[in-house]
Amino acid sequence: MKWIPNFNSSNSLRVIFVIAVFILLFLSSIAYKHNQDLNESSKLVMHTYEINIQLERLMSAIKDAETGQRGYIITRNARFLTPYIYSRDKVNTSFITLKKLTADNPAQQENLQKLFKLIIQRFVSFENCLKYSDPKTYDKRKLDNHMFGGRILMENIRFKVDEMNDMEKAYLKKRLKIYDAEISLSPLFSISLFLVALSFILLAYRQISRDFERMKIFNKKLLISNGLMAESEIIGKFSTWQWDLDTNKIDYSDNQYRLLGHEPNSFVPVRETFLDFVHPDDKEVVSESMDGIIEKKNLPFVYYKVMRPDREIRYFKSTGKILTDQQGSKILLGINFDITDEHLLNIELQERNRELEKSNKELASFNHVASHDLQEPLRKIQTFISRISDADKTVMSDSAKNYITKIESSAKRMRVLIDDLLLFSRTNTTKKEFLKMNLNELLDNAEAELTEIIDEKRAVIKASKLPKLAVIPYQIEQLFINLIGNSLKYSRPGVEPEITISCDKVNSSDYPEILEQSVKKFYKITFTDNGMGFDPQFKETIFILFQRLHSKTDYPGTGIGLAICKKIVENHKGHITADSTLNKGSVFTVFLPD
Amino acid sequence: MQKNALNILLADDDEDDRLFFKDAFEEIKIQTNVDFVHDGMQLMDHLQNPGNKLPDILFLDLNMPKKTGKECLIEIKKTDHLKDIIIAIYSTSSSEEDIEDTFIQGANIYIKKPSDFNTLKKLINEVVTVNWHYHTSGLNRDNFLLRLK
Repeated sequence: MKWIPNFNSSNSLRVIFVIAVFILLFLSSIAYKHNQDLNESSKLVMHTYEINIQLERLMSAIKDAETGQRGYIITRNARFLTPYIYSRDKVNTSFITLKKLTADNPAQQENLQKLFKLIIQRFVSFENCLKYSDPKTYDKRKLDNHMFGGRILMENIRFKVDEMNDMEKAYLKKRLKIYDAEISLSPLFSISLFLVALSFILLAYRQISRDFERMKIFNKKLLISNGLMAESEIIGKFSTWQWDLDTNKIDYSDNQYRLLGHEPNSFVPVRETFLDFVHPDDKEVVSESMDGIIEKKNLPFVYYKVMRPDREIRYFKSTGKILTDQQGSKILLGINFDITDEHLLNIELQERNRELEKSNKELASFNHVASHDLQEPLRKIQTFISRISDADKTVMSDSAKNYITKIESSAKRMRVLIDDLLLFSRTNTTKKEFLKMNLNELLDNAEAELTEIIDEKRAVIKASKLPKLAVIPYQIEQLFINLIGNSLKYSRPGVEPEITISCDKVNSSDYPEILEQSVKKFYKITFTDNGMGFDPQFKETIFILFQRLHSKTDYPGTGIGLAICKKIVENHKGHITADSTLNKGSVFTVFLPD
Repeated sequence: MQKNALNILLADDDEDDRLFFKDAFEEIKIQTNVDFVHDGMQLMDHLQNPGNKLPDILFLDLNMPKKTGKECLIEIKKTDHLKDIIIAIYSTSSSEEDIEDTFIQGANIYIKKPSDFNTLKKLINEVVTVNWHYHTSGLNRDNFLLRLK
């Protein structure tokens, strides 16, 4: 949908942010692990040292016992025995501590057991030494043996303690090495990961600021087009409304409120609001079409009346369409036109049309009156005159005979006038059936009609080849009769009439002022005579009804013939012009569309 | 009433026209019996009355009170025993519409009432002396309207 600017980046932005967050989470978990490891290793070191210290304490306690025992044996002073007696407790305390410390290490436990055995043996040896050094039970050989045995045991103990210390140190070293291996990877890796995350975030930032710029531009455009829309709604007397079918929220454009006779945003529209404005006569139609729009997706124009709060009736025309936006939500878009002005104009036009039809009918009945009722008495006058026989005339006075002649010629003139008038009006009102006709054929018919006067005037008519055209045959025949008849009637006395009819195909663009430009080609048919001609200043007026250039005593006529010609040519969407040089002849030019 | 004479019937509401018509028939030298009726109703009554002899030629005015000439024409052409009567339309009107309509409805000839008594005599003479059996078979739109040569 074009009207919604496409901000695709929002999706990629989301991806970028998710990746960055994952990287950061990963980094912090690594850091946590790192921390844990450090903790562990320091605990481990502590642990090792503690074992080391306890072992040393053990050793020193035994040594204290040894020193005390020696002092006692040499001096026989019981005070030297005090460290020996305490040393047992110290050994026990250290031993319990050691047992706890090495609880997780079976190898060390085993070593500890062995150490413990050695220590017990040592203390047994101490007891024996004390026993055999006592003057009561003195035995030099046994004393030497036990003293020596104590010496060896002491070395074994030292060895065992060293072994345990070494074991602990090796264990520590191994563990530290593992941690080191684990941790040594992380700094480079985590920095690069951090950089990646940073660059992702920077990328996202760039995209956001770019979108923001675009958004600003679109916002500006939107603002302008909104303003334009609002203005054009006012000028064009239309309004729009949106109905979000998902949220059921309805929005009216400002002009919608105005068209309904309210201030913009003066109420909150809901579905039923609009129907309240619709004229009771039209409520059903509008309601149906609103339901129909949801099913059919679009709606043909619906016409109805709206009643404003001040009870003013306005005529509306509406249509609508369902749009689906990018998020897939359905919006019903509607447009209302206030066509009151057009409607009233239309009514006025219809009124005028009716009046025209009425006056046309009156004209038609006038035609009937003219053709039938007016002719009836005239015909009788003429018939009665014709019944006055020559015998009757012999008994009349000269003046009476003269009056009869005058009545006769007046009645005749009246007849011509009525006939011509009828012909003129029939040119307009009778059905216009266009047939493809050879104009030469129609010209022949016209000449046949005029045979009598052609012969009488000894006229020569020269015609070039005329085209085949879609025309109203009897009217074109009448046109030819009238034009040729006109030339014959106004011939110069003593000069035999010569009429030349020629035809050319011309472009309408060559006669922009007189020809219909939508038709490209016209036939230009000219009637040139050698008659008496007329003053060129009358070349327009001679086509007007009842305009005559000669007195009726010189040239009897009604002034209708050329008006009929003009009407016939207009019926064929053509044009007729006349030109003349006095006493040389006239040229009548007829343009007929191809 | 003469025996071999032609039976002529004129249906016309105009008294003067009936007078001209009567005078014209008297002046032409053909044996005829001329009857008159004054309107369409009277015409149809006259034709439907078995006591009356059917006319050989019916001159029919179009513009008549009570029943127009056109209505009579249609009725006559629908009636079996009347449809063969020669019908000459005799009217003031020379409108294309009237000529076309009456031709289609089966009238034999169309005469425009002349404004000269001598012309009337000539027209009547022409109509009465035409061999109608021959003329009817060659009837067409061009010679339907009677023009004097």
